[in-house]
Amino acid sequence: MIDAFYEGLLLVLQWKTLAFMSLGIVLGFWVGLLPGLGGATTLALMLPFIYTMQPVQAFAFLLGMHAVVATTGDITSVLFGVPGEGTSAATILDGHAMAKKGEAGRALGAALTSSLVGAIVGAFALALAVPVVRPVVLTFGSPELFMLAIVGLAFIASLSSQGGRGMLRGFLAGGLGLLCATVGQDPQAGVARFTFDALYLWQGLELVPVLVGIFAIPEIVGLVVRRTSIAGAVPAGKLNQGAWEGVKDTFRHFWLTIRCSLIGTFIGIMPGMGGAIAQWMAYGHATQSARNAEERKGFGAGDVRGVLGPGAANNSKEGGALIPTVAFGVPGSSAMAILLGGFFLLGLVPGPDMLTTHLSVTFSMVWTIVLANIITVLVCFAFLNKLAKLTAVRGALLIPVILVLVFIGSYTATNHYGDILVMLLFGGIGYLMVLGGWPRAPFVLGLVLGKIAENYLYISIARYEAAWLTRPVVLVLMALTLGVVLYPLYQSRRAGVKKAAHA
Amino acid sequence: MHSKASLTLALGIMAVSAYAIVAAWAWPLKAALFPLAIAGPLFCLAAAEALWGIFGAAPAGEVRDFRLSTELPREEARRRTLVALAWILGFFAAIVLLGFPYAVPLLVFLYVKLQGRESWPLSIVLTLAVWAVFYGLFDRLLHLPFAAGWLFAFLR
Amino acid sequence: MRIRLALIAALAALPLAAAAQSPYAGKTVTIVVGYKAGGGYDRTARLLARHLPKHIPGNPTIIVQNMPGANSVIAANHVYSVAKPDGLTVGTFNRNLPLAQLLKVGGVKFDMTKFAWIGSAASESTILAIRSDLPYRTLEDLKKADKTVIIGATGPGANTYDFPLLLKELLGLNLKIVSGYSSSSDIMLAIERKEVDGRAGSFSSIRSFIDRKLVHAVVRARASEPGIEQLPVDENLAPNARAKAVMALRSAPEVVGRPYVMTPGTPQAQVAMMRQAFVKAINDAELQAEAKKAKMNMEFVPGDEALKVMQEVLGQPQDVIDEFRKYVKFGE
Repeated sequence: MIDAFYEGLLLVLQWKTLAFMSLGIVLGFWVGLLPGLGGATTLALMLPFIYTMQPVQAFAFLLGMHAVVATTGDITSVLFGVPGEGTSAATILDGHAMAKKGEAGRALGAALTSSLVGAIVGAFALALAVPVVRPVVLTFGSPELFMLAIVGLAFIASLSSQGGRGMLRGFLAGGLGLLCATVGQDPQAGVARFTFDALYLWQGLELVPVLVGIFAIPEIVGLVVRRTSIAGAVPAGKLNQGAWEGVKDTFRHFWLTIRCSLIGTFIGIMPGMGGAIAQWMAYGHATQSARNAEERKGFGAGDVRGVLGPGAANNSKEGGALIPTVAFGVPGSSAMAILLGGFFLLGLVPGPDMLTTHLSVTFSMVWTIVLANIITVLVCFAFLNKLAKLTAVRGALLIPVILVLVFIGSYTATNHYGDILVMLLFGGIGYLMVLGGWPRAPFVLGLVLGKIAENYLYISIARYEAAWLTRPVVLVLMALTLGVVLYPLYQSRRAGVKKAAHA
Repeated sequence: MHSKASLTLALGIMAVSAYAIVAAWAWPLKAALFPLAIAGPLFCLAAAEALWGIFGAAPAGEVRDFRLSTELPREEARRRTLVALAWILGFFAAIVLLGFPYAVPLLVFLYVKLQGRESWPLSIVLTLAVWAVFYGLFDRLLHLPFAAGWLFAFLR
Repeated sequence: MRIRLALIAALAALPLAAAAQSPYAGKTVTIVVGYKAGGGYDRTARLLARHLPKHIPGNPTIIVQNMPGANSVIAANHVYSVAKPDGLTVGTFNRNLPLAQLLKVGGVKFDMTKFAWIGSAASESTILAIRSDLPYRTLEDLKKADKTVIIGATGPGANTYDFPLLLKELLGLNLKIVSGYSSSSDIMLAIERKEVDGRAGSFSSIRSFIDRKLVHAVVRARASEPGIEQLPVDENLAPNARAKAVMALRSAPEVVGRPYVMTPGTPQAQVAMMRQAFVKAINDAELQAEAKKAKMNMEFVPGDEALKVMQEVLGQPQDVIDEFRKYVKFGE
């Protein structure tokens, strides 16, 4: 295996391969940055071009592009509060808040560095997991996936504010998200649920328009009202709390970054969990690292840990998603499904072979992800501080551009005006939530986890009847759920004890 | 504003979950189970929040998300918010009436010139730049389907 | 001599003249796909878009636009009534749309028999595949199975669900259908996990797993593809005429596996040009080589045959439709 490891590296370090990888990186940079250019769609558009390439070169191109999308998607999230990709929405909460405080450079530095750490962790997880990956993935059946969804939902408790009222609102948001997830044709009886006879809603709500609406619209309204630049009242000189500070932050909270990378990788390995989930669970975990109530209030207002968590997770999940794709031929995400098409085009059959005979090709993919991210981050750092200056530009110049991006970004979900209507509707809801002080993260969690929770519950019951409740991994996950739910209570109890001790 | 928005949301969720319960009642069990299991408690929670909002004291509201600027006087803030909404909805109307390719430069130009009160050269340059990127990327390269505006269909 | 030269020059200029007068010269043809980029319908369309232009007089540019939504009902509605009948729009969408029309699904605004049919770029047959380590190797074994065989499915309306459902209800096989998997590849993983024992689906999507010997095919539907011709056909084993009609109704659209149509009212000459181009393109060696690499099976089914299938589906007697409606909903 070690020689395959080196062989993989050598395969990547050839001129032609590097050239294709660079081409992919350039493409991926813009795809991630611009809302409206989706990673999966662009991968599909690129497929025909790889017919004439060698496998390693083709993967250098495709993976180079794909690996970078998750990194640069964070840039638009931080600067403008618009998710460049569906998977960069969580970074908006604290990243954009930091930009408004004039710390855009720091946020960008943190996002990029954590993305790099995440990508490396994810890639090496792929490498190390090779001998054990098949048994691990095979242990996680539908009951376990259902419990994982429950663990994810349990984070709603952490993402809500402190106190009874805060929890109530968090659960309301989460419940609304869950309800929205049920829109569309259900897979048990084929009933068209909550579609109001609209063809557009048959297949459910598209995630990207909802995310863009609920996060970007309130920001835009706020920006129009404030009539300043994004960084607002911060004097121009202070903007240089620069990117380097963000890098240092990543290492200040190194173990948090690593933990969130591992969360991302793990979620990525689970097929069917979907890309949006990893970042939110990582964000939820990051909020738990706040040591007292004061710190927890800071999340959502510009705590750098809220950037580190999702930044790392949405990159590491890519390495994780490669695992079921390569080892089983089962794509771990929609982009992976397209990558799979690429596999076939190149005559490679995903499956046990990729872990034995073609192991060096698999490792070349690992190295591609690592190298592509290193190159991207280094290049970005060169002009990060200049990018940060965008937050000092007059709002009136930026707003129309952001608006166009927001509308186009939603429209490209299904090329239907319904996308824009959904975006506007959830824009309104998001705006009300912001005004009322309701947390939006639980809503997104409910929305992305609802379908998975429902479907896997039905499958578990249909297949195992009651026996699934006593499977070992299920029991472990139940304990984890309890832990996640009770943690905030435990934290507030501890804070109360401390207060009493100090009084 | 704070509590009015909360109340609106709570009442809205009550309405939505009530509707969900009524609609789901008619479906076969498998399709209805989840929505009912969610909408039921959701209705109760929303009612609790609404009641708390109407009768309770002002919340020691921990805000997890950002708070919109509170530096402006209420009337001014309200006026500007309506202006913002007008621009957003106006853009949507332009897209429907004129089609994306015309609505985009129109919005950019009008906003920068009227709302931003920027100079003519800057407005025109920015409009052209945005339109060029939009057109080159989304129309020429990606061939996204942009429906013709209703106005043009009407005039034909 | 001069007359001969003049004749030769005139003859040489003819194809140019024909091309210059072709309604497609200098124009752009749009293929509207009812699904998102990356799926089977989309990849077929893009493959065709690359190889068609040189076979159409006038050498037009061909672009692909995605209009996903409502299982491609939205795209079909668009091509039917919104697109202009000028021959510049081609539509490809869900092969099961005639069933949507038959079942009078709300929102359907098209009539499959009124489209200007080009044909189908492939047949897509459904098979049922069972995990190889189970003792059921043929349909006979399945029939005699004493333990319930668990089949994973995505949801009603997809062939993963409908095909085994009909086998269970009409042929009496001892199957249990567990539905809700996010995609057919997830079912494949569940098979490896031994959570389910098999799945139904299009042959093209299961083929690589058959080659890998994870599963093997047991029974197929009416449409045949190279590699599964030997399998028993479900409707041939039906116990009575109505069961057979119901199964045939489900399978009929699969013959027109990748339907390509143009807006009703398109001039006949242009439809004919397009049909010709499709035949030539699909038989083109380059296209076939690319298709093979991508594991796509491309085979032209002429428009007249496709139209006949549509009429067959839509002309079913009411009692068959009612019986059909009991089992099959419109979905994927």
